[in-house]
Order: sequence, then C-alpha cells, then structure tokens
Amino acid sequence: MTEFDPRIIAFCCNWCSYVGADLAGTSRLQYPHNVRIIRTMCSGQVFPSYILKALELGADGVMIAGCHIGDCHYVSGNKKAEERFRMLLGIMKTLGLDARRIRLEWISASEGVKFANTIKEFAREIKELGPRNGGKE
Amino acid sequence: MTNIGIYICHCGTNIAGMIDVEELARKAAKLKDVSVVKDYRYLCSDPGQDLIKEDIRSMDLDRVVVAACSPRMHESTYRKVLSEAGINPFLLEIANIREQASWVHSEKEKTTEKAFDLVRIAVAKVKKDESLESLPADVIQRVLVIGAGIAGIQTSLDIANIGYEVVLVEKEQSIGGRMSQLGKTFPTLDCSACILTPRMVEVSTNPKIRLHTYSEVEEISGFIGNFHAKIRKKSRGLNPDLCTGCGECTARCPTKVPGEYDEGMGKRKAIYTLFPQAVPNVPVIDRANCVYITKGKCGICKKVCPAGAIDYELGDEIVEEEVGAVVVASGFDPFDPTSKEELGYGRYKNVITGLQLERLLHTAGPTKGEVIRPSDGAVPKRIAFVQCVGSRDEHANKYCSRVCCMHAIKNALLIKEHHPDAEIFIYYIDIRAFGKGYEEFYKRTQEHGIKFMRGRVAEIFEENNGNVVVRADDTLLGMVMENEVDMAVLSVGMVPRSDSAKIQKLLGIATGSDGFFMEAHAKLRPVETLVDGVFLAGTAQGPKDIPDTVAQAKGAASSALGVISHKVLELSPLISEVDERLCRGCGDCKDICEYGAIELITLDSRNAARINPALCKGCGACTVACCNGSIKLRNFTDTATFAMLEAVLGGEA
Amino acid sequence: MKEYASFLGCIIPNRYPGIEASSTRILGHFDVELVQINGASCCPAPGVFSSFHLDSWLAIAARNIALGEMTGKDIITMCNGCYGSLTEASFLLKGNKELKEKINGILSKVGCEFKGTSKIKHVIEVFSEDIGVKKIQEAMNTSLEGVRACTHYGCHFLKPAEMKKHGSSERPRLLDEIVEASGARSVDYKDKTMCCGFGGGVRARNLDVTLDFTREKLNNIISARGDCIVDQCASCHLEFDRGQVEIKKIFGQEFRVPVLYFTQLIGMGLGMGQHELGLDFHSIPAKPLLDKLNGGRR
Ligand SMILES: Cc1cc2nc3c(=O)[nH]c(=O)nc-3n(C[C@H](O)[C@H](O)[C@H](O)COP(=O)(O)OP(=O)(O)OC[C@H]3O[C@@H](n4cnc5c(N)ncnc54)[C@H](O)[C@@H]3O)c2cc1C
Ligand code: FES
Repeated sequence: MTEFDPRIIAFCCNWCSYVGADLAGTSRLQYPHNVRIIRTMCSGQVFPSYILKALELGADGVMIAGCHIGDCHYVSGNKKAEERFRMLLGIMKTLGLDARRIRLEWISASEGVKFANTIKEFAREIKELGPRNGGKE
Repeated sequence: MTNIGIYICHCGTNIAGMIDVEELARKAAKLKDVSVVKDYRYLCSDPGQDLIKEDIRSMDLDRVVVAACSPRMHESTYRKVLSEAGINPFLLEIANIREQASWVHSEKEKTTEKAFDLVRIAVAKVKKDESLESLPADVIQRVLVIGAGIAGIQTSLDIANIGYEVVLVEKEQSIGGRMSQLGKTFPTLDCSACILTPRMVEVSTNPKIRLHTYSEVEEISGFIGNFHAKIRKKSRGLNPDLCTGCGECTARCPTKVPGEYDEGMGKRKAIYTLFPQAVPNVPVIDRANCVYITKGKCGICKKVCPAGAIDYELGDEIVEEEVGAVVVASGFDPFDPTSKEELGYGRYKNVITGLQLERLLHTAGPTKGEVIRPSDGAVPKRIAFVQCVGSRDEHANKYCSRVCCMHAIKNALLIKEHHPDAEIFIYYIDIRAFGKGYEEFYKRTQEHGIKFMRGRVAEIFEENNGNVVVRADDTLLGMVMENEVDMAVLSVGMVPRSDSAKIQKLLGIATGSDGFFMEAHAKLRPVETLVDGVFLAGTAQGPKDIPDTVAQAKGAASSALGVISHKVLELSPLISEVDERLCRGCGDCKDICEYGAIELITLDSRNAARINPALCKGCGACTVACCNGSIKLRNFTDTATFAMLEAVLGGEA
Repeated sequence: MKEYASFLGCIIPNRYPGIEASSTRILGHFDVELVQINGASCCPAPGVFSSFHLDSWLAIAARNIALGEMTGKDIITMCNGCYGSLTEASFLLKGNKELKEKINGILSKVGCEFKGTSKIKHVIEVFSEDIGVKKIQEAMNTSLEGVRACTHYGCHFLKPAEMKKHGSSERPRLLDEIVEASGARSVDYKDKTMCCGFGGGVRARNLDVTLDFTREKLNNIISARGDCIVDQCASCHLEFDRGQVEIKKIFGQEFRVPVLYFTQLIGMGLGMGQHELGLDFHSIPAKPLLDKLNGGRR
C-alpha cells in the first residue's frame, strides 16, 4: 500500500504570507511538497466557504495565512479572518471534522523560515491524523 | 470558447533542474481549452516574450498562463506582453513553479506533479478572469497643506517653486509654528528667526501659494486627485485687506493679558500680532478679552486705526478649495508637565518649561533675551535642567521626544555664554546626541563646564526663598542627591496636538499607539498615509528636530507632486464591484470597509451599496461580509476560487 | 443606614484600639455600621509575605476576603497594610483566572472560596465618598482652629497607583480635605509622601534604618511647625508613636509630636474626650495638642 500523501491547500495573502513563501523559495528552504498555495489579496478576503469547499473536495488540511495582527495591508483584514476562523472551528465540530485540519497562521514577508516550518509541522500533523475518507470523517 | 496558451520557463536549470519540463508540458497540453504549450529557457528574455506575442497573434490566443517564477517578479512584464499583443493584460495567470516548487523540493517526480497542480490551478483561474480596464481619474493639480510651521512652509515652497498651486491653511494668525517661538537653534546656534523669516516672506509673496491664516479646514471629501475642502476663515475683527500693519491699534489698546505665544512669560494686548515679523502682519482681536466686545466700552482701536480697518461685527467666512493631494503638517504640542506633580510645575514659580525658557532667551521675547526667574525677576545663577519630562516614562509617554537633550544643551550653553559664572546642571537618563554635528556640540558644552548629572529627577520641592531643590538618584555615584538651585527648567517632550483627532477624522488617517499620525510603512513609506493622496510632514508624524522636519517636508512635497503632476491618474481596476440588482442594501459591507469606500444609495426606492472606485483598495473584506454574494472582488471571485479548488482537488483534466 | 464588614488586622486590636473605637463611634454618628468578620487572621503584611511566598500570601489574604464576603457586605480596613494586602490580592485574583483557580483550590481545604463579590475599601473612602467632607464639616461642634496638622497617607494606600486609584499618587488630597473639614489646618511639609519607615519588614530587621526614616519625617514636620501628625494607617501610626520613644533611646533626639489617626482628629472636632478616642493608649501624649486647643478657646 502506498504511503498516505496528504493534500493541503494554503490561502496566502498577497502582501505578507505569499511573500514569506516566496522567501522560503529564494532561501532554498525545503518543505514537504504536499501544499498547494492559492493567492488571495488579504486573509480577510477568504470566505469560510473556501475552506469548507476544499474539505468537501477532499483536502486533508487547509491553512489560511495572513499578515501579523497590526500589519495587515488593509488595516484589519486579518482580524476579520480571525473572527471568521473562530466561527469555522465551530462548524468543524458540527460537521464532525477534526479541528486540527484547519489552521490560521500569521506569517510575515520576512518569515520564510516560519513558512517552511509551519508547512513541515502541518504536514506532519495531518499525516498523523491520517486520511479523511480512510477514517470516519 | 477560450483559447489558452501555456508557457513554461526553464529559468536555466532553476526550474528545469528539478522539474521534468517536457512531462509537465505533455500533461498541460491535455487540459481542456488549452491550444498550445511551449517551454523556453528564459521566458522573461526578449525572445521569450516575443514567442508569446507571436503565438497570441498567430493562434488567436485569448488567455495566457505562464509557469515560471513568482508573479511578484514578472507579473507586470507578462501583462505588458499581453497588452502589446493586443489582448487584455488581466487575462494572464502565473503558476509559481520556481519559488513554490523547484526551489523548495528535492524529489523530481513529486515536484513535477506539484508543478502540474499549480498549472492546473492557474488554468482554472485564467478561465474565470475578466478583462479589466484601469480607471482614469482627472487630477486637480493643486495641493492642500494643513499647518504652516516649518514643515508646511517647506512643503508649500517646494511645490510652488516647481510651478504648482498650493493652498496653505494655518490655524493661528501667523505662519511660522513652534520654530518661530525658538530663540536660537542647535547645533549651529543660528537664530531661529534669521533662518525662518525669509521663508515666511517667500510664502506670502509666492503667487502660487494661496495662504489662509487664522483658518481651519472644516470638511474634506473626495479622494486622490479630487479632494474638496471647506475652510473656515475666522474673523479677525478687522478687514485684513484694509489693514496696513502699522501697529497703532496694538500700541493703544489698554487691555493686557498673559500671552499664549510667550507661554505665559509675558503679556499681550487684546488686539495683537503674535510677534513683530508675523506673516501676515495683521492683528487679531481677542474677542474673549476685548473690552469693547465684552462690555461695549472702549473702542479705542477703531478710533485710532488710520485705515479704518476695524470692524467688530465682521463674521467668519467659508471658502471652498479643490485639490488633488493633501499634506498634513499640523505639528506638535509641548508636553504639559502639570500632570507630573512630583516636579511641582504650576505650583512652584521657579519651575518652568524648556519652551518658556526659549521665550526668555528670544531677543524679541518678553524679557528681550534676558533670563530671569519668575518669582522675583532675579537673574538665576544656579539652574537645573530636568530631562525626559513626559518622555521615556511609563506614566506619561514611552517614546523619546528626540529634541529635548539637544535643546537643553543648547540653552545651557547660551546661558553660560551670557553669564560665565552661572552654574548649570543637566539631569539626564541618557544624552541622545544623534544628529549631524550633535555629538560635537554636546562635547563643546561639556568643555564649558556645564555639569551633566546622570539620573532621573524624582522630585522637586520649594524652599522659602523661592529656590527649588532637585532630588535625583545620581546613578554614577549611586547616591540620592539633593541640589538647591535658583530655577529648574523642565525639558518637556513633544506630544500629539490636543486637536489632532479632528484632522484624523477629517481625513480618515490613522494614528499610532503614541497618538501621532501614522505613516504607511515605518521604513519604506515614511510620508505616505494609508489614505491615497494624503501625506505627512514634520512633527505631526512623530517627534523630530528641524533638519528632520524639513527633510520629511521635502519628501511630502515630492510625493504630493507625484500625484498632482499627472493630469489623469490610472486607478487600479482590481477592486470590488456591486451587482446592484442583487444587493438588498443591508449595509454590512459599508460597516466593514476600512476606507469609507462604500455608500448606500437609493435605487428604485430601495437601498443598494455603491463602491467608490477611487477609494476602494481591493482588499475584498466586503465580499465576505455580503450576505447574498452581490459584491465581488474583480478577478478574485468565489467562483474562481471554487474552480481552482476543483481543478486541483477534483482532479479535473 | 450603610453597613460594612470591618477587617481589623493585628495592630489595631493589639496596640491601638483607639483607632477602631474612634472609627466605629464616628461612623455610627454618620449612620454607618460595622460588623465583625469572624475568624479573620493577619492580612498578611503585603510587602513581606508576598516577597517570600506569593501563593501563601495570596491564599491567606483570599481567605480573609472570603470570610468578609460571607457577610454579604463590602469590606473596610483601617490599616494601609491590610488595605494593601486585600486590594492587591483581590486585583491579582480577579485579573488571572488560573491563579484564582489555584488559590481557590487551596482554600477549598478550609471550606472557603474567593468570589470577588465584595469591594475592598479603606475607611477613609467611606468618609470621603459615603459621608463626604461637607457633612463632616457641618457635624463639627468643637473648634480645631489653630491646629497645624501634618498629614501622612502611607505608601500602601497610594501605590501601586494602577491598583489603588485615589486620584494623584504624588499629591493626594483625600486626607487633607478631611483634615480641613475637621477645622484643623493641613500644613505642607517636605517629603510628605515619603514612607514612615515601617514597611517592607525593615522595622523587624533593621530598626535603626526604619527609625532614620521616621526621624527624617519628624524633623520635616517640626520644620513646618506642625502640631501633630494625622495618619490613616495603623502601622504608620505605630511607627510614629512608638518610633519617637525608640528614636530617643537610639539617637538621643527627643520629639513630642502627638500622633492622631484621622478619626481621632474628627472625634476631637465632635467634642469627644481623650479616653473615648483611645488617645491614652499612645506612647506620646496628646496633651500638648489638647492644651493648645483649650488655650485657644480660653
Ligand atoms: C523647547 C524646544 C526647543 C527646540 N529647539 C530646537 C532647535 O534648537 N533645533 C531644532 O532643530 N529643533 C528644535 N526644536 C524642534 C522644533 O521646534 C520642531 O522640529 C519644529 O518646530 C517642527 O515643525 P512642524 O512644522 O512640524 O510643527 P509646528 O512648528 O508645530 O507647526 C505646526 C503648525 O500647524 C498649525 N496647525 C496645527 N493644527 C492645525 C490645523 N488643524 N489647521 C491648520 N493649521 C494647524 C500650527 O498652528 C502650527 O503653526 C525645539 C522644540 C522645542 C519644544
Ligand atoms: S493583507 Fe495580509 S492579512 Fe490582510
């Protein structure tokens, strides 16, 4: 049997986290290949339904990444993301999904290392959780 | 039917070394609606770009996906390629297979698989992209400058000298700001008036500058390129056009009150100018203290005015101005040390502030430059300067005010030069002599025998003879020391102006935790605000000395010119858009918008949201807030996102 | 009628019962009743205990508050030390859920729980807020004119300022206003807000250092021609009163400055006698002050 190879979607804001991911690249930091990045203008532009849709389509983990609180290019988009994320956690419970499958992270443009480490850690955790359809979720 | 072309860049071996480019191209060619897939060594090179252009023309491509480096590198390059080949530049997507794949992974097969996913995502997205046109907006080629201290003066002169019109609004009756109150300036000790007055005159004679003094901006609306301001010109109680500035009225006015401009160290009349070189040299009647206005008696000024300019009944005037950019140069207030009760300011007569000392040292000040102490008019022989009053203080302001070390050193030296036998003590935490020539200046004062005492002053108390005792923990000796002096000078720091909230609201700009107006980026955008077309100059943005103020003022001038030197501005089309047919007018989007870009309008007797394209920054917060999906962020829509997710997760081929 | 639970602490019942006597009587005069807190212990002293073992200090203070809460009333103290302990403990526990749980875990062994339902007040706040200077002024029937009183607030009442909040911590007015309402004159003196010397366990460890503080304060009061010290804290009270005896012994300098708790001063203005106010428990006789008053009246 082949090893479980999780599929992870990361929504990264254009001004901080996407740039942080680019920096991980220019610094040649290695991280697991499981992640697919979708660029958004701001973490506050991410609909909760994006996350649910990704899960519905079989993603094993979904991450929203934005600027640190206080640094959002649009003043407070990340605060809005934070509130919506809290709501999402509730929905996860209702749906019987493990809340560890979704993440909200603040990664600045200078935090290439943090980006790489976050992906490493997230991928490891999702691997531990195992596949979704294989389990009860 | 769409016709998509996919172009894969090798980036030398940067991409091709870790991704099987041929395999990728083979897979990509099977995707729906893709007409052509090509790979090339360096796609961003001229021949690379030509390759794409030719295909667009010869194969009638209508959308393009480039699989290469980060869009942050070359998105604009490829947009231009599309434009030049005759298709809309926004019908482009970039699959970031370098930073997000070849550079961060080391298994060729897996990396190629991932690169294909990234291409699939880009293809799904580009199919949903719409053609967009940047929005042209006419620019009113004038600048509004609020505040005419040295910052506002410098900004105005720079802009006017390039040839553009400036509307300069000053709240006080004369321009000049705090700098006009100063005696001499560190570190060169040139007299403040000598360097400032010529610039003030230049402002008043420059035909490109429209000066409104004794005026305040009351309302401001619009957006970058197109602001509309309402300005209240307060009544001076006389007709400024008739006044010749002869000064007869002031000389004969019988009422004397403590002068604010002299920081209470001297008296002024009820009809007065701030200082002899005031610009404009036109007095103001202080309505609260004029005996004619309060009691109906006197009227002397009206009688003696040879020009017949006095008109007690004259009302305020409202003028309206149209401008394309705004520079805020509203300056600072000195910290009020009354709240530091342990220092006794306001209770002990011989405890004064640094700015009060400036007035005493000013040759045109209330004592003609003689430093005397307030309690008995004696010349103080022992003087203590108390540093960091209200600055670097957990109980007041945490920040450093940046000028107090230097103005204490400057004034200590000036006093010492006048009275070589005077004993001067400066109580400090650290001496911050950071500017050009400042450290040398500090050294010089030390050589003059001024004593620097390292320790924060804990308390000041008064003796019966009016002397004050300064108690401080001398951290070099490790002892609490008491020192009886004739007078203590509190080196008060800078605080945001007490009325700065008004300007903040007017323009919708932000303030930092220190209360000063906040720049868009602490390092790279020091004069911009988060509101497009609004810039900052001088101490309104944070404590600084004159050289830094002037430097920033010049920066603000060039930034404002960067806006108004264009006749037309291209506004980014990547903004939100309301489908007014769907909108039910709940206003949630309006509440969530940080930029005030959304207003509710009435449409066929119902409410609907409308977005001002000039104010919208395209963050997309409103799209999520919208309860029925009637707002979308152009080219970042939910349908596009769902399509991307389906492409990568659903394995759509 | 208003009622408070009175937390007495150690010094008042053991050394200066006059503080309680005068306070209870005068509060009664203004329709404020005090009820006892049964089983209360030492507060325990804020600086000393908390610096040795924070949790022990918190647990004991929280227990005292919990006992007070059982009366269903707000709690008052007459000593700044007690005030400091109870206010600071309550501030810390209210602001930190985990700490509160931990301390309540300890308290559960003795069947107590800190809830944070009772306010902690210093008795002087009852005078300034509930009664008000105007009412005090109106109630005075014996002139204290000519009395030059030097007020001493005490550190634990004023600081840390963010926990105590009595207006200014550098130039407080509360006590001075009450002194002036009594008809005496509050005179300023050097280093008015300086420590009496008692606090922080210094008195127990280094008596001569403590007394050096006390002596400096007394010298400043003499320079300002003060007739008496008016304080609001049992510990400071003890320091100034017993301290004068000890200063004489150790430094050979003799002071005879009468020490009054502020309710004792108000009591004088209400015409109460020496014994009623418990002034005869003091080491330094109040007689010179009383003589001055009688002399003035004659
Ligand atoms: C005691 C002291 C001594 C100093 N000595 C020196 C020195 O020797 N050398 C040196 O380099 N620096 C010195 N400084 C610093 C110097 O004063 C400042 O750097 C300089 O004045 C800042 O200029 P500004 O234009 O930013 O602000 P300001 O001088 O405060 O000017 C702001 C202007 O805006 C006007 N204004 C405010 N609000 C409005 C409004 N709503 N509408 C219209 N107009 C408005 C004000 O009336 C004012 O005229 C000293 C500062 C102090 C306090
Ligand atoms: S722009 Fe990065 S979170 Fe808003």
